[in-house]
Amino acid sequence: MRQLTEEETRTLFEKLANYVGRGLNELIAPPSGSEDPNERYVFRMHQMRVYHVKLGLVGLATSIPRDNLLSLGTCVGKFTKTGKFRIQITALDLLAPHARYKVHIKPNGTQPFLYGGNVLKAHVGRWSEDCPEHAGVVVVDMNDTPLGFGVTARSSAESRKLDPTAICVFSQSDIGNYLRDEDTLFTT
Amino acid sequence: MAPTKPSVKGKSSSSKGDASKGKPLSSGTKISKKNVKRPPPQEMKSKARTEKSQLKKTKKRVYTEEELGLPKLNAITPVGVVKPKGKKKGKTFVDDAEGMMTILAMVNAEKEGQIESKMMKARQLEEIREAKRKEAEARMAQKKSKLDDVKQSIRQNKKHKGDAGASKADAPSGGSSKSKGKKKSVSFA
Repeated sequence: MRQLTEEETRTLFEKLANYVGRGLNELIAPPSGSEDPNERYVFRMHQMRVYHVKLGLVGLATSIPRDNLLSLGTCVGKFTKTGKFRIQITALDLLAPHARYKVHIKPNGTQPFLYGGNVLKAHVGRWSEDCPEHAGVVVVDMNDTPLGFGVTARSSAESRKLDPTAICVFSQSDIGNYLRDEDTLFTT
Repeated sequence: MAPTKPSVKGKSSSSKGDASKGKPLSSGTKISKKNVKRPPPQEMKSKARTEKSQLKKTKKRVYTEEELGLPKLNAITPVGVVKPKGKKKGKTFVDDAEGMMTILAMVNAEKEGQIESKMMKARQLEEIREAKRKEAEARMAQKKSKLDDVKQSIRQNKKHKGDAGASKADAPSGGSSKSKGKKKSVSFA
């Protein structure tokens, strides 16, 4: 396990900034009220995967041999061999509370989305205002339960004119991935 | 083999003889001869040193690849794997909160700018589309009103003609109805 380099940090933040707005500060800022540096959250890389971990836990994890350590903290995603960053569904817990844009989908649209399908206009219940094209959005159901994340196909203004079967959000990852990618989600 | 051996012996004996000759000379006149002889060997020594050191310096100099001007394909290191000299090996990690925050701030500002520009573009396009739509609507309304006017005028013309023609046409129509009635009566009768 190691710290991220400057370039890796930049790549990671650029990816996260697609989905998270100003709230990204809160992912690395020390929790308010605590002076203990061990309470601070940091990003650590282990076997090409990036984890969001409490600093105190990182110290404890040093007692475990590298080969035996499978995962710790919250896995955000992994770096490809070409240096790009792939965000995983496990990062949803980090993204959802600080999401820049949200798309609420109706109950009849949740199942198609959780099976890996894109979000159609007919399934959209509510939609963040002033959302541009190709922006990262967090998909939630009508009760505000996060279901996954994706990229908008059209801006919110344009999508009003679309027909009901047109695609509004391209799915990137959904909580169905926990089952579908069970074998490869935590192992290389 | 035979002729070489005596020659070597001879040489060695002659050199020994020179040395033996030199020794008594130096030992005989101690102060005066030393003073006279000192400068020349010193000069010789200094020259030799300088020469050697110069030679050493030229040998030590290492040319960089740029100075040599070799074509890159002939170099030992592949083009893609040129490691900068004098730089620290390995990765530079960012772990302190301040460093992370600065990177984050830069990334955030960049992203905000991108989104803003996207939104601006989208708004401008939307405005243009709206203006075009309104223009098209106005044109359609104009066309419709023109058509209505024409229709109205035609109708009015017809009415006028109909009023004028109705008085003329009444008489023949009445006559025809009478004749028809007569015909019917005839047929029934």
